[in-house]
This record gives sequence, structure tokens and C-alpha cells, in this order.
Amino acid sequence: MTVTPNDGTADEAERTLRLGRVRTAMTAAGLDALLAFAPAWRRENVRYFTDARIAGTASFVLLTAAGSDGVRAFSTRAADLDTITARGWVTDAHPFSARAAGPLAEWLRAARPARLGVAHYELLPELLMTQLAQALPHAEIVSATALMDDVRLVKSDWEIARMRRAASVVDAGWAAFVEVLRPGLPEHAIVAAVEAAIKGRGAEDNFMLIASGGDEVRGMTAPTPRVLQEGDMVRTELTPQLDGYWLQICRSAVVGPASDAQRRSFDLFNEAVEAGIAAVHPGVTAHEVARAQNDVFRGRGLGQYCTSQYTRVRGHGHGLHIDEAPIIEGNETELPENAVFIIHPNTYTPIAGYHVLGDPVRVTRDGAEVLIGTERKLFEGAIR
Amino acid sequence: MKRGLVLFDPAEIPAVEWRGRVAAVQRELTASGIDVALIYGDVSRSDDIAYLTNLCVYWNEGILAVPAHGDPVFLTKLSPRVHPWMRLISTVTEIRSGRSLAELVAAFLGPGDGGAVGLIEAELWPAAVSTQIRQALGDWHVRPLAGLVRALRQAPSPSEVTLLGRAAASLADTAADAVAPGLADGERVAVAERRLRGDGFLDVLADPVRTGDGVTSVRITAQYRYLWLQASRVGAADNVAWPGPLREAVAAAVTAVAPGATAADLDRAARPALDRLPAGAASHVRWVHHADLATNGEYADYRSDLPIPAGSVVVVDIDVRFADGTHAAVAETVLTGADGPVCLTGQPGAVGAGGPLR
Repeated sequence: MTVTPNDGTADEAERTLRLGRVRTAMTAAGLDALLAFAPAWRRENVRYFTDARIAGTASFVLLTAAGSDGVRAFSTRAADLDTITARGWVTDAHPFSARAAGPLAEWLRAARPARLGVAHYELLPELLMTQLAQALPHAEIVSATALMDDVRLVKSDWEIARMRRAASVVDAGWAAFVEVLRPGLPEHAIVAAVEAAIKGRGAEDNFMLIASGGDEVRGMTAPTPRVLQEGDMVRTELTPQLDGYWLQICRSAVVGPASDAQRRSFDLFNEAVEAGIAAVHPGVTAHEVARAQNDVFRGRGLGQYCTSQYTRVRGHGHGLHIDEAPIIEGNETELPENAVFIIHPNTYTPIAGYHVLGDPVRVTRDGAEVLIGTERKLFEGAIR
Repeated sequence: MKRGLVLFDPAEIPAVEWRGRVAAVQRELTASGIDVALIYGDVSRSDDIAYLTNLCVYWNEGILAVPAHGDPVFLTKLSPRVHPWMRLISTVTEIRSGRSLAELVAAFLGPGDGGAVGLIEAELWPAAVSTQIRQALGDWHVRPLAGLVRALRQAPSPSEVTLLGRAAASLADTAADAVAPGLADGERVAVAERRLRGDGFLDVLADPVRTGDGVTSVRITAQYRYLWLQASRVGAADNVAWPGPLREAVAAAVTAVAPGATAADLDRAARPALDRLPAGAASHVRWVHHADLATNGEYADYRSDLPIPAGSVVVVDIDVRFADGTHAAVAETVLTGADGPVCLTGQPGAVGAGGPLR
């Protein structure tokens, strides 16, 4: 699938909106400058500023509280510079070496911040932290990871439009998943088929866990060589990334006709998803959305299966990172209008083993909008 | 991402070899007066941990603790619910989970009594994590260590060469298919994903790029088990002649691969062909060790006079930037053999043809 480019006016408005949000947050936090760091597995903040698909092992974006200073990007991968420059969201882009980050140090010294916030400070390698401290010997360097998490929590209309496009790839990925299921197929062949389907539609990346088998299944992992058997329930969380934005679907499918237990399990999990969706409104807390789902299990005497012994979270935020605010009891994070997250009560129960079901939703003015089109049902694969 | 097959097969790498790797590290620790080495890994860079245990850090972070005497222990932020799977696919028997890596390390090590803990490749650890560990280990002496596991990984064993050969044959065929004419970029990536994940690759990074005159290159970096390879192929276009010289250039650079050869040597070999590229094209010839492909070598010091180690497997990569800012790339994965270079990705099926991939 080819993504229709946004026109330049909308892009510029989005860029301006983001810089305004970040600078407002910087002022509130008393930051003179912000340095977004991206290791290879956490590029969401650099992407937020560049809207460019970056491949470098380490990259940065630097901006100051003063709007006139420009926004500068840095990457260890030379090819990134053309990508970043072509997108045009930053003032300029520079190469740097992880072992001698000269250009980055020069721009930092020029910015002369008294207080510098580093997004993903917690992941910054000692090699780079040392050079940062040497460039700014008198500056206070603090984490700005939470600041950026907060900024990214509410999605703009521009972002929601991108996530809707990602939803079509999610639906195609799940369709490919169901289509390929048959006895004798190894788990990793399912992944191959899904990856081909979503990458063919422009997905940049994918996060996917899988498990197959009966009621002995306790959780999902990377694929194994296990081959499918008739009657297996095959579970997955499938999370393609399109144009930077991740969106997840959680579903389970049976190889052949479903058993009564598998149907009862689906009904339970579907009720929990619906309870989670019904709880959503602007300002709802992550705790409340989690509790609504868990109460369904508690009401059936299955509350123990909502604990960390059997499960992790009842969902999580989505956006430029896969796993944003956790939907879990005790997390009092408020979810405003246009926050996007998945509601998934995935857990083990003795009914039919680990069950996976969930939909990504957007918080609307008065409730929730499910972003994907895939039906929420227990899928049954054909026996071929 | 690491979404492909994770397999632990003693027929591929026997138990004695796994034990030997840990023993080699332990000998270094004993010689250096270190009681326990800590190896940090995250989802993007955990090959040292995989080399010693076959563990796959498919998400989040973890630390492998290797005592000078005894078995390695894995400390991770991943849930205890994945411990059974991790034991199934690795040599590790003890795994501990928690929210703080520093607290896990402190609980595992206990009181220090003046013992020494070494952080392997400490400069690449998140500074916040190593600082927390130093603070948590009051009575221990915490010392930085060099990349001693990376050094071991640079010389693949016969078992690993067999795996690399099998994987390279699949990768070579796939790269050729992915650069076929008439495909959209997404379809090229789909070709790579379908074939390589189906053949049991763990990770696939396929990157098609197109020049202003319509020639597509596809660079595929892929991980089979814990071993990395790369192949890049340049396609063809009507009335465009330069792909021929570019292919000749990489072939010449591969021929120059030898123990002690440098990037400058490879460049010298490739230059006559590269000089036939269009005016304004800037080409960069380099080699990167397969042990560094997870980071594309960007955390290592690949100066132009760095010699290729004997017995190593390296990627020879030529990137061309044309005057209009577009790129083309060619690359091969090459074994520095005793009798000369063996281009693993250039001879599909010719090396280590030990059976079908899975």
C-alpha cells in the first residue's frame, strides 16, 4: 500500500504544533535545551522531531527553548542525513562518530544551556554521556524522558490520520495470519507470511509475539519450530509500524473448528474488552480501564489470573513507540481525548489456556473509537 | 525486529562448544583478577549474551552475569513468565527477573568482601545503569573490561562457519530475487521477509533504495540464529551502464580481503571500477566485522588502517552517493579463509551446504 503524502501545509502545521508543545513543556521544566537521544530500539523522540525513518545506531535531535535557534539532528549513519534533510522538519543534519561526537559537542557548547534535558537519558551509553558532560562541564543534565512521554501522549489529528492508515495494515496482517493457518505449519512460517503481507503494504517494522497449542499455553514468545495441529488455538499480538506509528491487534484463532471451551474463553475475554472500552472517556485513568477489565474476571472467580503470575498489563499506549503508558491497576495516568492505546486483557485461564484479544482505541469526546476494522471474534482457520 | 525463529539445537552447536565459550571468558576473568563479569544487552544489541548462552533478548534489557567459577546467570527486566521458554532455548538454567537491573545484580552478588566485578564493554552500557550498579555494589570493586566476548566472536568456529554458509546461500538467493525488475519497494522487502523468515532467520532488515536514473539496490542485513550477514545487490535499468562497474568493484574488493588487509586496500582494489561511475558519484568502500553488524559497526573504531583479523567473517560494503543525493549499494559477506577469501553470499549453496534451513 502506498501512503499518500501529506501536503506541505499540514506538515508544517504539525511541526509547529510539536515544537510549541515541547517548548511549553521545557519552560515548565526549567530546561534551556532538550536533547532527544535515540538508541536503535527507542527512536520515538527523534522521530517526533524529524518525521524521518532513521537507521543510525545512535541519533540525536537538539533544540533550545528559544525558537530562533533552529532544530538540529545528528546520526551515526551517513545515509540518515539525506533522509532527514529530505523530510525537512529540522534546520540541518550532521554526521557524528560515537567515539568522537565533535559536531554534536560543538552545537551543545554553542547552545550553552544551564540546564539540559535528555530524553532517554536512562539509555545513553557511557561513551556518549562522557562526551556530553565534557562539552557542558557546568550544565545540569537531567532526564527529559517523562517530559517527552507526556508530550506524545495526546495525538494530533495529523497523527490520528497516520494511525488510521496503520490500522489498514494491521487488518491485512491479521488476515494473512488466519489465511496461512493449517496443520503441519511451523510457527515461524506464520510469522514469515505475516511479515511479507505487512511489509508489502509499506510497514517499516513489526512487533509480534505468538503461541500455539492447547490449554497448556501460558504466554507468548518469539516463534518456535512447533508445528500446528488441528484444534490448536494460535495466539498473537501483531504490531506493525507504518510511517513511524505502531498499532496493535490481539487475536486468537483456532486451527479448524473451535471447541466449547475455546468459545467460552473467547466470550469471557470479549466481555472484558468491551468492559474496558465502555470505561473510556476523556480523563479516565489507566487504572480505571484496567480495573474494568479485571472486574470481569473477578466476577467469575478468576481474579487470580489478573496478577503478574499470569499476565503483564491490560493494555498500553501506542504511537511512535509500541509500548507507551501501561494500562494497569495502580497507574493513575489520565488518558485525555485523542490518547491512543490498546485494551487487551490477555492472560492465562484454565478454560482454554492463554487467550489473546484486544483492540486499539482512541479516546473520543464522549467515549472510545476502535481504530481497526477486524471483527472481534474467535477466528476458525480452514483445514486444508 | 527479532520476530523470527529462535532455536536451540545441540546438533548445530554441541554442548562442549557452548561450555568452551564460557570457559574461555572465565579464563580471562581469572587472569584479570575478576570474580564476576557482567554483560549488558538490549533488544538491539545482545550478541555477546547470545554467543555465550543462545538467549534471545527479544525485548527490553538484561544482564548476563558470568562468574569466574560456575554457571552464567541471566538477570532481566522481562517477566518470570518467559523463564521456561528462555531455559528451553538457551544453556542458562538460572534466570532472575525484576524491575531494576542494579537491584538484580546486587541481590545476585550479595556482599562484596572486596571482590571485583567487571563490566564488559562498559563504555557501551547505559551510563545510568552502570552508575546504579556501582552505587548498589558498595563493597565490590567495579572495573571496566574490554570487549573480550566480541573478540571471541570475531573468529567463528567450524560450527558457526557451517551455519553462516547455510544462511549465506539463502541470503544470496533472496537478495537476487529482491532486486528483480518490476517490484515496488514494499514488494522487495516482502520477498526478503517471506523467504528469510521462512528459512528460519531471526531478524531481517531489508532496505531498498533507488537512484535518480531508476536503478534499485536492496541491502539485506539478516540474523540467522545469533549470527549476522549482509548482502546488497544492485539491479538494472534500460540505458544505464554503471551497475556493471559497481558489481565489478565489489568483486575486486572481495578478492582483496585477507588477514591484515585494510579498508584502504579494499578501496584500492575497487577503485579502477569505481572510477567508471558517473561524474559526481562519491563511493565509500569499507569492511565491517559480522560480529558488529547489529550496530553496523557504528560503536566500534573502524579507522581506515584497521586490519582484517585472520579467520574472521566480514562484510565488504560499497555505498555510492550520486550527485543528486540518491544512493546505490553492493555488499558481500566474506570469510577470511586460510586459502584466500571465500565470498559466502556470492556463491549460493556452495559453502556449508549441510541441509535445508529451518
